[in-house]
Amino acid sequence: MTFRIAPYREFAKKAFAREATYRMEVFTNIGSLLVRLYLMKMVWTALYAQNTAPAGVPLHAIITYTTVALLMSLVLEIDGTRIIRDRVREGSIATDLMKPINLPLYFFSDGVGQTLLHAILIVPSLFLALFIVHVDVPPPLALVAFFFSFALGYVVNFLLNFLMNTVAFWTLETFAIQLIVRWVSDLLGGQIVPLIFFPGFLQKIVLALPFAAVYSTPLLIYTGTIQPSDYARAFASQLAWGTGFAILSTFVWRGALKRVVVQGG
Amino acid sequence: MDRQVRVEAQAMPIIETRELRKVFRSIKRTPGAGGALRTLFSREYVDKVAVTGVTMALDAGELVGYIGPNGAGKSTTIKMLTGILVPTSGEVRVAGIVPYERRSENARNIGVVFGQRSQLYWDLPLIESFELLRAIYDVSAERYRANMEYFTQLLEMDEFLATPVRQLSLGQRMRGDFAAAMLHDPKVVFLDEPTIGLDVVAKEAIREFIADINRERGTTFILTTHDLADVERLCRRIVLIDHGRLIFDGAIETLRDTYGTHRTLVVELCEPEQHVEIEGAEAELTTPTLARFRFDRRTMSAETLVRRVTERYPVSDISIEEPELESIIRRIYREGYVAEPDTEPATT
Repeated sequence: MTFRIAPYREFAKKAFAREATYRMEVFTNIGSLLVRLYLMKMVWTALYAQNTAPAGVPLHAIITYTTVALLMSLVLEIDGTRIIRDRVREGSIATDLMKPINLPLYFFSDGVGQTLLHAILIVPSLFLALFIVHVDVPPPLALVAFFFSFALGYVVNFLLNFLMNTVAFWTLETFAIQLIVRWVSDLLGGQIVPLIFFPGFLQKIVLALPFAAVYSTPLLIYTGTIQPSDYARAFASQLAWGTGFAILSTFVWRGALKRVVVQGG
Repeated sequence: MDRQVRVEAQAMPIIETRELRKVFRSIKRTPGAGGALRTLFSREYVDKVAVTGVTMALDAGELVGYIGPNGAGKSTTIKMLTGILVPTSGEVRVAGIVPYERRSENARNIGVVFGQRSQLYWDLPLIESFELLRAIYDVSAERYRANMEYFTQLLEMDEFLATPVRQLSLGQRMRGDFAAAMLHDPKVVFLDEPTIGLDVVAKEAIREFIADINRERGTTFILTTHDLADVERLCRRIVLIDHGRLIFDGAIETLRDTYGTHRTLVVELCEPEQHVEIEGAEAELTTPTLARFRFDRRTMSAETLVRRVTERYPVSDISIEEPELESIIRRIYREGYVAEPDTEPATT
């Protein structure tokens, strides 16, 4: 059977439209982002007033880092694959399986649709954020590399969520696991504190973990900590994590399907 | 030419199962903390037979009621026919395809409607779900337009096509779900409790739609329901399943003839009576002017009874009640199916 892209484009469009119906949530998202940004600015300013700059990072750089991280989170905090969990719990995964579609690809398109809507929010959020903080703009090359790295990080993040939601096939509920993983990944991924602030030994470990591929790598490219000569290595590491998770996802998905078709869900 | 087509159709039913069997295996759990620990280390399994030895063949264009009590194995069978469950043993074919081997291809031939579960996009206007399904099944623009026109008119959907699904009434939503299932012109449609929770008017609209599509397009329907009125209204043939086994497969009339040995003659009397009595029938007065005579049609014809009644009492109206399918099925659930039942069920 030939592959057709049309259904998946349509899934993305519908997910976009669906998310757009929750207007209040959209506004709350922007509001909460601005509050968080303001608090982070206060915390960093107070910390810097009492100490010397850690790892040689000046205050304006750390505030830029935090702002960009928060804007990225608008997109990265979208758990595009939560429909897996919902549909498994409701049992409607059975009706999905009765359709001539590739389910993981369906989930991915749905996630992309949701993400696109939230990506649009970045523009007004950035505009409003500029009233609170000043954001450094990197040289064009770094900016392009940042967006590329961000896209790779998005895929790694998607696969992490996919894996976690697929656990629902066995446990039905994944909320607790996801909450823990979210906290750990926010901290160890460099969303809250740059990973280069971690002490030597610990820093090596957290930079080697997959979480770094989501936030830290693109952010360090943005702030110039990762120099153009190291871009290739940074991308390669993100790609490696992406590929690894993709392979793992394939196996987990097969196991999940087998569970449904043999055990009847 | 016509004959040849018929021969071919007979040679290949649209749905065919042979000795279909599904056994679910789960880990045996011993109660208590010690038991839980033992479960962790030793793996003992319990097998639960959901469906066994189901052999049936459905021809294209049939409308069959698939009936059985809860847990009888109905939905397990349907899941195997839709390809989302792999049989433990036996054969299954839908439109010449083994469903679990080619699930995606099978999906194009089938449609499903679940009364308890919608496949429509909850947050979006109804029409958007149709557009999505159009993309999924690659329905041509022409076919889509024709089908939408047909369904919209038949199901009177035009007034709520633009309404978000979550704001639809249950009746409207079900009509939407039917159109959604039929949009890609499936050869076989599985209906699972399609009229559950609907009021009489909505029920009738849905039944009419099913009958219409079946007649006009020759679509094969398998109707799983507990509402036997649906079956009586729509199906000529029923398949009964209990404890995973097929216990009856045939015309509803056969079932009625076998089990429905008794009829009731309902008579409206011109004058009130204190007591009624007729030889060879159980008489009962519901009101002083309404009498009921229950008779075994093997020992007495309706004609004889009517004559005896009219000879004795002045009568203003007369009618005969057939046994309801529901009471027959209830009896089979209770006692199992036997081809020659010797006693009549107590009136319920």
